[in-house]
Amino acid sequence: MLADHSADAIWAHDLTKVYGKLTAVDHVDMEVPSGGVFGLLGPNGAGKTTIIKLLTGLTDLSDGAAVVAGYDVRKHPMQVKQRIGWVAAEVILDDDFSAIENLWLQAKLQRLPEWRPRAEQLLQYFDLTSREKDKVSTFSTGMRKKLEIALALLHQPSVIFMDEPTIGLDPGTRRMLWELITGVNREFGVTVLLTSHYIEEADALCNQIAIIDHGKFVATGSPSELKSKVRGDFIELDTTDRVTEAILGSIPGVSEVRTQGKTWVLRTTSAEEVLPRLLSHIDPKDIRRINVERPSLETVFLDLTGRKIDEDNGEVHDYRKFYATVRRARQ
Amino acid sequence: MSGETRYATITPPAEAAASPTVGQGSQFVGLYARELLRTFRNPWVLVITIVQPFMWLAFFGNSFAAVPLSELEELLHIQIQSYIQFLLPGVLATSMLTVGMFGSMSTIQDKRFGYMKRILLTPTRRATIYLAKALGSASRGLVQIPVMIAAALVFGVRFNGDPLLWAAWVLSLALLGFGFSCMFLAVTSSSTDWQTPGVISNFITMPLMFASGALFPSVNFPEWMRVISEWNPVGYTALFGRGIVVQGVAHWDYLGYVAIFAALMVIVGTLVASRYLKAE
Repeated sequence: MLADHSADAIWAHDLTKVYGKLTAVDHVDMEVPSGGVFGLLGPNGAGKTTIIKLLTGLTDLSDGAAVVAGYDVRKHPMQVKQRIGWVAAEVILDDDFSAIENLWLQAKLQRLPEWRPRAEQLLQYFDLTSREKDKVSTFSTGMRKKLEIALALLHQPSVIFMDEPTIGLDPGTRRMLWELITGVNREFGVTVLLTSHYIEEADALCNQIAIIDHGKFVATGSPSELKSKVRGDFIELDTTDRVTEAILGSIPGVSEVRTQGKTWVLRTTSAEEVLPRLLSHIDPKDIRRINVERPSLETVFLDLTGRKIDEDNGEVHDYRKFYATVRRARQ
Repeated sequence: MSGETRYATITPPAEAAASPTVGQGSQFVGLYARELLRTFRNPWVLVITIVQPFMWLAFFGNSFAAVPLSELEELLHIQIQSYIQFLLPGVLATSMLTVGMFGSMSTIQDKRFGYMKRILLTPTRRATIYLAKALGSASRGLVQIPVMIAAALVFGVRFNGDPLLWAAWVLSLALLGFGFSCMFLAVTSSSTDWQTPGVISNFITMPLMFASGALFPSVNFPEWMRVISEWNPVGYTALFGRGIVVQGVAHWDYLGYVAIFAALMVIVGTLVASRYLKAE
């Protein structure tokens, strides 16, 4: 029986993007029902941004089909673009213009004749009214991000795409943005598709998550569904050379022994039961570090791919460096 | 939702009712206004735009100050008040050569800062962006005209021609600037390198400036330079302007030639840009 997808905000089948020899997105199927917050979670380079580019018509599909906000992305890209909003990872505004001028320009680009009341309402919602006439180059990163979300909401889109919405932000601003994203989804009734490589972000914001690796969805579901897929806890262990795989494997309750770099990763039925046994099987002097990973989206990713999300190359650890690079590019 | 769930038949959801073509007027106005505001809010841009051709008149225009007018007229094959009077239409035509570079640079800047993505994620066609940028940089070039004419008056030049002919002269310069802006933008539509517009500008400016009647009459040229000048829209714009400024006569066929050049550039350029204008 066919499911009815007409209520979906996003529907895609066999979505594929090939760049030369690299398949960035590999035959992905997705359905995002209207109204929720859908997260694409995966390491850098997994294909998250490319999926956004495909669904927004910014790049052509190599294969497959996609319907966004009621229109076919290939056949009617202009109609799709009239109904979607977009928030860039790197905060893209016209720095030479004020907040209200940025909104005016966006209104022009979205063909909105009566934009002013809506713009004022958004500026108020995002607490930017007092700065509306200031050049956005004088804004803090948090304010710039808020203005960017206001631009995305100006034409009352049905779907809004947010690419790594909190990358490079300090923890306080990140919390604020999480509240804003949840608020925007609830109060403006807009479907949100966001990408993230922050586990806690996806967990905190999304009703539905697709875990993506090497251009493929490796799992999909609500955060709690995904977590329940992982049986037991993981124990990470750094030890001396005296500890071997055979010793670790022989401990009752350890169902699997893997290595990640120099770290042992043990899959266990329950960390509480296995930890005392572990300490009686190995000399505590041989243990340098122990870490227990409770079922989380991180362990889901670990379980499915054998890697941790944030251990991937290219992770931006140093935010100051990240913003210095962005600023340099702007000069 | 996932790759595990395969439906027996994959049918995409029905599309919403087909809506008419999305108009482009609003987007064009917004983008064109943005170009103008960005240009005219930066005082340095204005200063350079104005000072550069002014210096042409001041330095180059006075190079023959000590030469008796009769000798100069013999060399230039035209009756003039001063070399500056002869030069003014040529310098204005030559300066339209470089305005296209600014449109290209502003486009490349939009690509590098990601703003092009912001534009392309709205119902704006690439051709609309292209035309707004081309018209924006051509408009920037037109600022030079009143400034230069005022400067020439300061240097003591008196002009011929009635207002209608002068309007036609301004039109010819606008068409030339628009044509070159279109050409520049088309050539750099897939480029993201800051240096490209400058390189192209350097490459084309020299031959098109000298192999035209802009600075000296082409009757003194060797045969090969005369061939270039016969195809060179800069030369036709300069000659059209010179006819009006110096003699009070309009050679309408020259204006027609410049109009054809502009039309050709905008058609070819729009086709190229709608296909190759990159988002980033």
